[in-house]
Amino acid sequence: MSDLQLSEPLARRRFLVRVVAAVHAAIGGALAFVLGTAAVAPGFERRRATWIRAGAIDRLREHEPVPVTLRVARQDGYAQVVDRRVVYLVRTGERTVRALESTCTHLGCRTSYDRERRLIQCPCHGGRFDAQGQVVAGPPPAPLPALPTRVEGDDVLVEL
Amino acid sequence: MKAFDRARDWLDARTGYRALVRHALDEPLPPGTGWAFTSGSILTLLLAVQFLTGVVLAMYYVPSPALAYDSVRFVMDALPLGWLVRGLHVWGASFLVVAAGIHLLRVFLFGSFKAPREVTWLTGVLLLLLILAFSLSGYLLPWDQKAYWATTVTLNIAASTPLVGDLLAAVLRGGAELGALTLGRWYAAHVLLLPAAIVVFVVAHILLLRRHGVSGPITPVDGPVVRFFPWHVVKDTVMMAAVFALLLTFALLWPAHLDEIADPADATYVPRPEWYFLALFELLKYFPGPLEPIGTLLVPGLIVGFLLAVPFLDRGGERRPWHRRRLPVAAAMAAVVGGVAHMTVLGLLDTPARYDPDAWGPRSIAGLALLQQPDLGCRGCHVAGGPASDLSLTRVTRDEEWLLHHMADPVALAPGVRTEADPAPRPLLSRLQAQAVVAYLRRVRAGAAPPEVSDEDRLAATAFATSCVGCHRVAGEGGQIGPDLTTVGRRRTLDALARIIRDPTTEYGDTMMPAFGERLTPQQVEALASYLARLR
Repeated sequence: MSDLQLSEPLARRRFLVRVVAAVHAAIGGALAFVLGTAAVAPGFERRRATWIRAGAIDRLREHEPVPVTLRVARQDGYAQVVDRRVVYLVRTGERTVRALESTCTHLGCRTSYDRERRLIQCPCHGGRFDAQGQVVAGPPPAPLPALPTRVEGDDVLVEL
Repeated sequence: MKAFDRARDWLDARTGYRALVRHALDEPLPPGTGWAFTSGSILTLLLAVQFLTGVVLAMYYVPSPALAYDSVRFVMDALPLGWLVRGLHVWGASFLVVAAGIHLLRVFLFGSFKAPREVTWLTGVLLLLLILAFSLSGYLLPWDQKAYWATTVTLNIAASTPLVGDLLAAVLRGGAELGALTLGRWYAAHVLLLPAAIVVFVVAHILLLRRHGVSGPITPVDGPVVRFFPWHVVKDTVMMAAVFALLLTFALLWPAHLDEIADPADATYVPRPEWYFLALFELLKYFPGPLEPIGTLLVPGLIVGFLLAVPFLDRGGERRPWHRRRLPVAAAMAAVVGGVAHMTVLGLLDTPARYDPDAWGPRSIAGLALLQQPDLGCRGCHVAGGPASDLSLTRVTRDEEWLLHHMADPVALAPGVRTEADPAPRPLLSRLQAQAVVAYLRRVRAGAAPPEVSDEDRLAATAFATSCVGCHRVAGEGGQIGPDLTTVGRRRTLDALARIIRDPTTEYGDTMMPAFGERLTPQQVEALASYLARLR
């Protein structure tokens, strides 16, 4: 008899504890989903590429990288920013141009072109690339990435 | 599982946390403590929701007039579920005010504030004031029209304080004008000072509650003592779930509103505070001129003073609110609650009808039509990689006059673009066209999605924006020399409208309005009349 009296409220208590835990978990879960989405989602945004006019093809000499600064206006969350990106344009034929990123693939320093040595050089750790962006010396683990290009009339367009 | 238990034992041996949890949960409650005693838990939940949604909003918000509006607009339009986070925060503020009011009335009716619980009541009244301070500082932050104008009114109310009014307003404003410095200090108050204060007072409130115990039912009930956990917590939990579901429903069904960006030059906007300040707002109408401090300070001050004094006016052990010993204070409380409710209702009834803020007037439609023209001169510079950002990215950040000058002579405002061969300004758009483009850009910045417009309406809108808009107004855009045409379709038939546009003297005899039969093509007149006839 005394066992029964004890066990019933205990069973009820256990049930109530579960109900309380479940409801709080549901409220917390709903909040976590809404807030988590809003907090995390922008981290997975990818930037959209656009074709940018980079200059006239006539000004380029074959196999000689020419650095050009491109302005890319884009939406940065709620702000508008203009990115300045430096790329090398390398004429590879009559109507063909290659565009290379100017950021060293080693640790992200800005490279520059040495006309006398005909090499793209990184000032940080001595990385060197040839006019095609291939590594010729130093620590860079990969060639300079090429960007999609096309030629329209006299203009070279680069996709950034 | 064993390892988990061992870790908990280890932690308990060093912190004694189990005893703390047991102390928190095992509180004995007087028998008969029922559903009425869940209002405090509801407030705790709502405060937690405000805190958590506030943290996410603060990730994106920028307290600067240049970006505040756009950052909130970004949360509303671009951030996944951002609109819902803001909806929960905005509705949560209203829910908090209501829940705090209900909690206060519950405590009053049950006589739960009676000795020795006077200080618990005092901390509660201060918490209510803190919640109102949160609301007041919060709705300046989006920097939209409502934010700007409601805050202007608040600052002027502060300035009406006798003796120290100007000083007080200057401190609240932080500068000569309502602007960047005001926004900064209200933001700091909203996200740093007030949360810290509310945490201190909530902790004090709960510690005092534990010190004196829950007051329980008005007339003591016989029976065994109830443990707080889980016997009362389950009631709290059910109520919290119901309120949370209601809050979520409100936030989902009626997303938080964001007006157009604050415009100190706009005389058409009628400022209205949030509903919980409407009673105060309404009160000011009854105390004009030198009597104003009565409405701005004396009456609100007396109400707060009364609330603080309640436990000292309504003394003695009697808890039944209908008992004659409690009657005077209960009547005063009823007068306060009734008065606030009455003034709030008057304020709600008095809300002026405004045109639908999401409606597109003909001027902005004309601007949209102009910007869609393929040979638009703006694209000479506003292209990807060009000297100015692409039109799809361009956002109105300058005032209207600057923009109109820019469109009349774009080169003058873009140094270095004008060549020696081309020294003369070449207006890209007429002034009226430029105004239409500005109207369009402002609508877009205010978050309105461009509507689907038929070719005929496009023609009508363009004709309106270049011929009629100087004198007539539709949906808040345009001049005021002639009648407002926002609902002209109710007054005039299609035929009458076409006739008036061609030659107004047929209808009015003597009128300032010129005849447009010669100036517009028959197609334009027809499209315009058909468009206007549909404005109802």
